[in-house]
Amino acid sequence: MATKTGSLRLERLTKEFGNGKEKVVAVRELSLTINPGEFVTLLGPSGCGKTTALRMIAGFETPTGGQVLLDGDDLSAMTPDKRPMGMVFQSYALFPHMTVFDNVAYGLRVKKMSGNEIKSAVAEVLESMSLSHLANRAPNQLSGGQQQRVALARAMVVRPKVLLFDEPLSNLDAKLRAQMRVEIRSIQRRLGITSIFVTHDQDEAMSLSDRIVVMRNAVVEQVGTPDEVYRRPSSVFVADFIGRSNFLEVESAVEARNGEAKVVVSGKKMTVAAQAKALSSKKPVLLVRPESISVTASKSRGASFEKGEGKVTNVVFYGNHVEYTLDTHEGEIVAVVSDPIYEEIVPVGKIAHYSFEPDRAWLLPSDSTHATKQDQE
Amino acid sequence: MAIKTSGAKYDIFTKIALVLVVLIIGLLIVLPLLNILVYSTQPSGSAILTNSLSDVVTRDIIWNTIKLGLSVATLGTLLGFIMAYTQARVDFRGKKVLHIINLVPIISPPFAFATAIIVLFGRSGMITRGIFDWRPTLYGYPGLVLVLTLSFFPIAYMNLLGMLRSLDPALDEAGSSLGANKWRIFRTVTLPLLIPGFAGSFLLLFIETIADLANPLIIGGNYTVLASRAYMAINGDYDISLAAGYSTLLLLPALFVFLIQRYWAQKRSVVSVTGKPSGRPTLVTSKPAKFFLLSVTSLLTLLISLVYLTVLFGAFVQIIGVNNEFTLDHFRYLLGGFANGAIKTTTMLALMATPLAGFFGMLIAWLVIRKVRRGSEALDFLGMLGIAVPGTVIGIGYAITYNDPVKIGGVTVFPQVGGGGAIFGGAVAIVMVYIIRSSPAGQRSGISQLQQIDPAIEEASASLGAAGGKTFRLVTLPLISGAFLSGLMYAFAHSMTTLSPIIFLVTPDTSILTQKILAEADQGRYGNVFALCCILIVLILIIGGLINLLVRRTQVSIDRPMVTGR
Repeated sequence: MATKTGSLRLERLTKEFGNGKEKVVAVRELSLTINPGEFVTLLGPSGCGKTTALRMIAGFETPTGGQVLLDGDDLSAMTPDKRPMGMVFQSYALFPHMTVFDNVAYGLRVKKMSGNEIKSAVAEVLESMSLSHLANRAPNQLSGGQQQRVALARAMVVRPKVLLFDEPLSNLDAKLRAQMRVEIRSIQRRLGITSIFVTHDQDEAMSLSDRIVVMRNAVVEQVGTPDEVYRRPSSVFVADFIGRSNFLEVESAVEARNGEAKVVVSGKKMTVAAQAKALSSKKPVLLVRPESISVTASKSRGASFEKGEGKVTNVVFYGNHVEYTLDTHEGEIVAVVSDPIYEEIVPVGKIAHYSFEPDRAWLLPSDSTHATKQDQE
Repeated sequence: MAIKTSGAKYDIFTKIALVLVVLIIGLLIVLPLLNILVYSTQPSGSAILTNSLSDVVTRDIIWNTIKLGLSVATLGTLLGFIMAYTQARVDFRGKKVLHIINLVPIISPPFAFATAIIVLFGRSGMITRGIFDWRPTLYGYPGLVLVLTLSFFPIAYMNLLGMLRSLDPALDEAGSSLGANKWRIFRTVTLPLLIPGFAGSFLLLFIETIADLANPLIIGGNYTVLASRAYMAINGDYDISLAAGYSTLLLLPALFVFLIQRYWAQKRSVVSVTGKPSGRPTLVTSKPAKFFLLSVTSLLTLLISLVYLTVLFGAFVQIIGVNNEFTLDHFRYLLGGFANGAIKTTTMLALMATPLAGFFGMLIAWLVIRKVRRGSEALDFLGMLGIAVPGTVIGIGYAITYNDPVKIGGVTVFPQVGGGGAIFGGAVAIVMVYIIRSSPAGQRSGISQLQQIDPAIEEASASLGAAGGKTFRLVTLPLISGAFLSGLMYAFAHSMTTLSPIIFLVTPDTSILTQKILAEADQGRYGNVFALCCILIVLILIIGGLINLLVRRTQVSIDRPMVTGR
């Protein structure tokens, strides 16, 4: 058969630690299907169960319930060394007593490949990651980024069906991190290896993934493409965790057609897109992203804009954008205006006018616990 | 011993290793101990146990043992601290040399101290009588305290030095920036932080002291302790049950104190060993304090040097202090036949035990830290039994257990490995004792090294397809090769110098060097004792050096071990 392999299915995967009163559920009934060649990210604050889920897929943790299926085969009885998966660790976990070459060759030697095959396979992968000149170095002679690449090369050279990444970029500085993101994604696309990437960094998740699985307190909050989780988050938690958010209080909301709702915000009527459960929620809120809001010193034109005004309490100029904090009747509002003209920035203490297009807003059910990123981390 | 697992599956290699380790520990230490307990319930043994508090003689022996333990533990810890504090916090020349001299007693053969001290400070000692015309009685309590303190203080020294060095200097700096002077910082910061170290050292010294047999035999005089009484029960009364009774009396406090040391004192430690301390420790600058510390330190170092000079000098003269004429007679006599067999047998048996003990210690360490989830503390404790139980008790337990075949329901399950008429002339039992006595050191260093290695490194190996055994061989062992090496060196040196357990196991076919030394010391032939000590030390240095070279050659050097963690 010519169909691609590497489709991974998680069936009600569960992990409980301890027993009796001290029982802690790390992952609760995680079900997910990952297609061959797909890049999926498990995203969530620390302690949400994402790493435990990954370690169950790798076989380092034994699930207390549920299954991991690879191309339809249950892997439960398989120890990590038998699973056709490669893993890239947060700490890289390079063997400190081996050279770069020996590190990369390790998996092939374990497979008892012939010396010549090993040589050419290792040389090829080192070449593709521009590591050839470092082959005889010891891991501790490499920079963080180089160690990261060796770890990736070592996991890839054995041609695993699935690549697992456990926060591999968190020890790198910001610039290198962005660069490695691009590199990982392009290699993964080229080889078409199914990949699961664990991170708490939303930028990483957004820029790498075909789909993002947002987790919180051992359960999945939302599964969707980067666009879906950003534009159409399923909950206040997801909206808050991914990107920045303004939540406007809604005075009334009634159903309209096509999953839309008619809402009243500060006495102004508008029609906005709504999440399925938003209208059955007691107090829905309206999500507007800061970049969807424009701020001007005087009233702007255009009838389709919903307008309001507020006192500027803070202004930060970043060069490529300017960030306002406004004190308005609708609550505190954060707005990001890109490509600002310095002379037109409204100073602190002055009244500014803000507006947004209703089709950039999204009606959400309000969470019982309004968790912010800060208290989760 | 049932070790339960929590859900996670053990791979085949782990299962086999676990079963093997438990089986070996059972054979090497648990079974002999059980037999001690069983034999102590027979008439003469149980009489000792039940009358231990009412019978004046037994009560005296117990009190002697405890008094000696408390005295040596107190003095040794105090000396160890002064030496460690001087080493860590006083700036002076010759630090390194002093450090090495302070550590030498650890690998010193038994009797070297006792005999040299008698020659130097005894009734007709070269110093006491020769210089001061003073004839003190050294035999008994005072001599034992002196000799044992000198022999065991390095344990406290190492322990406390390690702790002092890992104290973050920023704590001292914080104290002084808050207005405290150095003396106050010493009292309110340094000393309180070291309390677990003091407690731990004290308890360790207590155990070592009450377990010691060699010195009470040589210098104890009429001061009988439990270990020497148990020895006499075998060699004088020929009553195994009586020996088992005294062994039980010795075993219980030793195990009890060991448990306190391991699970109470060690957990109290508030000194963080994570991360390297930043900055440099503040040094002692006060003149009187410096004078005091340096005086004690130099006096003690001088004493140790004097002891070893006496051993060296005494080996090459007729009768030291009486006839100081140079001679090779002692060596001629020893190497001309008297000790040849013992040298060969001892070295061979120690060499056999060394890799086994080293490997065994590493395997237990690996299982405890990486593999066993529930019951790892129990496994760790079982592995440490060999050092927690006094050697005398082990020796008597072995004599009871292995001088006959081990039978279950009339069927031999393990052959007779000890005593005359055993296979290989009883050598197997001696090797077994060597292994169980010296594997705990490797286990400890293996555990502390493994704790510093990111477990992800082994997981990476597993995810690349290497099963448990392969990962252990290809990744774990090379990474803990430093601990492995120190385990090997300890195993060899310790096996060569151990006396108390094997004294019960030597046969005409397996004569052991330390036992020869005891015999010569008993006869008062100190020249031969010193010469034998020299031979022993030279053997340890040469063969230890060779082991070091061999292991280092096969190991890839790791400049900076990866201690990254999540």
